[in-house]
Amino acid sequence: MSRVDEGELGLRGTFRLLRRAFDYAAPFKRQFAVKYALALLSLLPLLVLPWPVKIIVDHAIIGTPFGEQPIPYPAMMQPIIEFLSQQTPTGIVLWAVGFQLLLVMICGAVGTSGNERDAADSVLSSGHDIASRTENEANQAFSLTSGLLGLIDWRVMIRLTQSINHHYRTAAFARLQKLPMTTFDDESVGDAVFRVMYDTPSITNGIYRIVIWPFVSVGMGLLLSIALATFFPGHPIFWQTALGVMAVAFLCALPFGGKLRRAHLSARGAGSDATGSLEEGMHNMLAVQSLGAEDGEQKRFDEDSWSSFSEYRGVMAIGMIIFLIGAVPGAALVGWAFYSAIELVVYDQISAGDFGLLITYYLALLFAAITAGGLWIRLQENAAGLHRVFFAMDLPSEEDPPGAPPCPVLRETARLVDVHYTYPDGTPALQNVDLDIHVGRITALVGPAGAGKSTLAYLFPRFIVPQRGCLTFDGADTTGSSLASLRSQVSFVFQETQLFDATVDENIRIGNPDATEAQVRHAAQIAGADAFIRALPKGYHTPLGRGGGRLSVGQRQRVAIARGLVREARILILDEPTSALDPETEQNLVRALREASRERAVVVIAHRLSTIREADEICFVEGGEIIERGSHATLMAREDGAYRRFVELQSQGAA
Amino acid sequence: MSDTTAANDALASLGQGGETDRLSFALVLQLLRRSASMLHPVRGHLALLALGFSLVASIGAFALPLGIAFSNSVLLPNAPTELEAWLLRLPHAWTSLEVLSPDQRMDVAFKVLLTFGIIAAVATPAYLGLYYYLVWILQRVNQVLRVRMLEQLQRLSMRFHSGSRVGDAIYRMIQDSSMVTKLIEVLFIQPVMALGRHIYGLAFVALLDWRIALGMAACWPVYLALGAWGSRPMRVDFRRARETNSDVTSRIQENISAIKVIKAYGAEDALLAKFESDSRTAFDAAFDARYRFAVFNVAVFWVTGAALAIAGGAAALLALDGVPLPAIAAAVGYMAWNFGIFNLLKERFSDGVGSLRAIMKTWANAQNVAIGLDRVYELLDLEPEVQDEAGSTALTGVAGRVRYEDVSFRYQSDRAVLDGVSFEARVGQMTALVGSTGSGKTTVVSLLLRLYDPQQGRILIDDRDLRSLQVKSVRDHVAIALQENWLSGTTIAENIRFAKPDATDEEVRHAAKVAVASEFIEALPAGFDTVLGERGTKLSTGQRQRISIARAILKDTPILVLDEPTAALDAVTEARVLDNLAEWGRERMIFLITHRFGAVRRADQIVVLHEGRVRETGTHDELFAKHGAYRRLVDHETGDSVPPVAAEVAS
Repeated sequence: MSRVDEGELGLRGTFRLLRRAFDYAAPFKRQFAVKYALALLSLLPLLVLPWPVKIIVDHAIIGTPFGEQPIPYPAMMQPIIEFLSQQTPTGIVLWAVGFQLLLVMICGAVGTSGNERDAADSVLSSGHDIASRTENEANQAFSLTSGLLGLIDWRVMIRLTQSINHHYRTAAFARLQKLPMTTFDDESVGDAVFRVMYDTPSITNGIYRIVIWPFVSVGMGLLLSIALATFFPGHPIFWQTALGVMAVAFLCALPFGGKLRRAHLSARGAGSDATGSLEEGMHNMLAVQSLGAEDGEQKRFDEDSWSSFSEYRGVMAIGMIIFLIGAVPGAALVGWAFYSAIELVVYDQISAGDFGLLITYYLALLFAAITAGGLWIRLQENAAGLHRVFFAMDLPSEEDPPGAPPCPVLRETARLVDVHYTYPDGTPALQNVDLDIHVGRITALVGPAGAGKSTLAYLFPRFIVPQRGCLTFDGADTTGSSLASLRSQVSFVFQETQLFDATVDENIRIGNPDATEAQVRHAAQIAGADAFIRALPKGYHTPLGRGGGRLSVGQRQRVAIARGLVREARILILDEPTSALDPETEQNLVRALREASRERAVVVIAHRLSTIREADEICFVEGGEIIERGSHATLMAREDGAYRRFVELQSQGAA
Repeated sequence: MSDTTAANDALASLGQGGETDRLSFALVLQLLRRSASMLHPVRGHLALLALGFSLVASIGAFALPLGIAFSNSVLLPNAPTELEAWLLRLPHAWTSLEVLSPDQRMDVAFKVLLTFGIIAAVATPAYLGLYYYLVWILQRVNQVLRVRMLEQLQRLSMRFHSGSRVGDAIYRMIQDSSMVTKLIEVLFIQPVMALGRHIYGLAFVALLDWRIALGMAACWPVYLALGAWGSRPMRVDFRRARETNSDVTSRIQENISAIKVIKAYGAEDALLAKFESDSRTAFDAAFDARYRFAVFNVAVFWVTGAALAIAGGAAALLALDGVPLPAIAAAVGYMAWNFGIFNLLKERFSDGVGSLRAIMKTWANAQNVAIGLDRVYELLDLEPEVQDEAGSTALTGVAGRVRYEDVSFRYQSDRAVLDGVSFEARVGQMTALVGSTGSGKTTVVSLLLRLYDPQQGRILIDDRDLRSLQVKSVRDHVAIALQENWLSGTTIAENIRFAKPDATDEEVRHAAKVAVASEFIEALPAGFDTVLGERGTKLSTGQRQRISIARAILKDTPILVLDEPTAALDAVTEARVLDNLAEWGRERMIFLITHRFGAVRRADQIVVLHEGRVRETGTHDELFAKHGAYRRLVDHETGDSVPPVAAEVAS
């Protein structure tokens, strides 16, 4: 996938991505509603917080009597004011402190400045590249407040984040599994890891920036503007400058949108490359060590890893430039507002205690304004991750069209009719292929390396879809039938054996989880694997390690064959099953295939004469076409036959 | 079982700490201290950075008197002090005024704001620049660690790798290693700066009122108790979060790698369910860890907030009574409690307690950092099973022979794979290793490459024990074409250059020619520059096998090992490859592992292995005549012992 051209990420594309992320929030409506309610609730302490401090300052320390301060208290506070006005100054202080302690418990705040307020969060240490930062992103949660309320708010949100991430991470993974096999020929496994693990959190992050942050910042902005207008009527300068700061935050970042998107995209690309080269090196450690390629691999990873770090710094630098550009007009606006507030105090229009209140509100309002104004540029960062996730999820997949009928069960003959297949890169692979395979018979595909034998065999389980022609079962076209119903009838044993890090038993069972122990044993016996499996420390329940690491290649091949046999499929295809087998095992296997073919159509791709000879029909493939077919004897009878030439050379080699 | 085997069996359990916590307060500190050595290479940069930050901070120091001036001479009409008047370039006469006029206060306000503006204009860009520099330094440290981990992984024997998961390595190298970038913060910035600020705040508060200072100090035991309560469970949770996330990474990596089989056997749904459960487990573990972390921080703030509220109330009571300040405070110019002092106390108290809170938060985070680094060390501290022994020397050439003397080997605790194997191979000879599947053929050559060391017996190259030779020098003298030919997702030319990146185009072409690969390569649209798929899957197995052979040939070593190199080749191609190799290998030692007797016949010497033992040794003719194990194998291959089935099943 990394090599597929993903195209430019323009403005329109960005809108489309964000729109789609927004839609992705739909299944979680209820949880979002709860978060909204809690966010609103956590705005309230903002309004209450500064009052105890103001009361202490104005009525205890400075000692202004209630009712004589320049600005009267709002009506809703009258009962409290009446109560406090009967207290001594010491009493006022004690009551105010008591109230503050309550606020600390409930919402984790006592006053106004940074050190006096807490916000529940769980941001853990992370590194300085995209991948190491996404763990926080995948588990992000924030609250405007702390204390009991903040903890509840935080808890609701982290669970929401995780549900969304889990949902889409699983969806992305499921989609990757559904991609046609040929896609993975060009796919870096590390890239897939990166997309599923590190790009999917962009979905939640994007959703929050579209759904939650505007709500929180606009709600907070409105609430604070109303509070300011109520407590300090006639001073529009505060909400006006805040609006100005919002515009500055938005406009100064605007010219950098495209740049930031591209920088993020290449930082993610570089991170994926680093993961890719690491994965490749680890996956192929045997080749690296035995060919002494350690230095080269190290150099490659060194470069890829450093480039992911550098690209990340590039993203950071753009952010810094945007900040510096916006800081100048922003600071001027805020300075102006401060100056006006000072004038109010100095010319006795408000008290010193009011000033603290005013500034607290104003700073909170600025926070809301900067958040709202900066949302657009922040979304550009998400666009890159979204682009990468959605790109992978949108690749043409193998999924059935809705209502695909099940494929008929093969009774006798599966037939490829006039099949043409061209690789995605345009190289023709198969032409005019007509081939019948029959239950009860063994068909061998023979031919030089690169002739197209494996490609031909891939047609039966529909690993590839031919551009022309079709596959029929007993005369019925299978095109358009559901994939699962077709594949359940085909058992394929690959040339490269792939074993999982699981027990031998689980590895054999993968194609037929319901197989009985006896069936597993029987299949292993046929494949010549039973003896060595039983010699393993825990027999069939021995874990095999990564890629079946504790077995030799030949042993792995036999486990893979057992796996193919245990699956009760009507068609059994073996691609070079015997290449790594010793002659004795091979002979046993060939006899077993004869046995198996009673209920199955067996297709064998092989070079070894001893295997080929057993076939009922031999198809000689060359240059993507079947050029000869018939039994061994028939084909050998042809004086100038390609098969005969092939066999003669083979025997020359062996004799 | 030898010690190395025991040690390596233990490797299999790497990264499964489970619910236990093997760290403690002391061990966390020790771990962090040990990691500090990783900062050593960048100490020059760090010193420069510290200098830069202190310069910026000293500009910021001007802000402190400005804040006091703002409270006293703007919000209140008090006269500025001498220092403030000088800093703000106010008329000196103002310092002796009883009360400032509103216009004068506005003048002070304007100058305070302007000065703040100037400080910010200088300090902000400088700060951002320094931060960028810091990130660069930290990334360097992280990069060095990542490469060191890769180096270590490459040194660990194949026995380790077949028992460990790729995703685990990815997680350790990307996620766990990134914790090294937090060392500076955890080790230096927080303990030094925050503690400094705390002590400064405490001293300042004590200057004003010792009782309030005592209240501030009373936070210590509460914080310590919180730390004692929270650290261990946090470590357990953090470790589990890392392990489960590493499992998810592995799951993706393994499933995508094996996608062919998954598709062919319709196992998508079953494996998706496993992935989903892994993913759920990982999120749950991340939740547990973060929940504990969040609760810890909220609890810390409860203490902080309560202390702040109470101290603020106490200061307000003092200020409202106008209590005189202690003599020592009076000496600095403060006479009695008033609004300005109230504000000042609150500010210092909040900063002093706030920095303690920051230390607590850092401590909580340090548990996570420590777990990450612990997982890094788990890997770095593994003793490679195969390594250069003290006094080992480099192999500089292979003049005569390789001898196996009574070599025995087992992988894990299984039965012996090789059991007393002895034979000799000479330069100029082709030695074929034959035997049934699982008889130990590949293991024999793996030992020659020192992918493993034998538990018993020894292998000699020109009479020097392989163990006394440096691993790298041995591998430099052996080239191998592997049975499972892996190609990387680069061009064909680069794949051939895999073991010798600086080879010329000419050499690459020549190697391809010997391996009978140049014809099909040149027929490809981009020839040698054709980019292969990730797993080299655009080519047929036979084609990949030949590229794999070309790769080994290019390495141009005195010993060449071909492990089933021709299994997927048709007879014609196989014959051509072998002819070329015989010609090319005249002065070399070639080991050939194969089942194909057309190839075996060409060997100068055939070693027949059976269940890890050498059954027969000799030439084809000798062994064929012997009617022994070898003869039986040949008969199977040519099918002489099997009735011709083809005719039988004509119906």
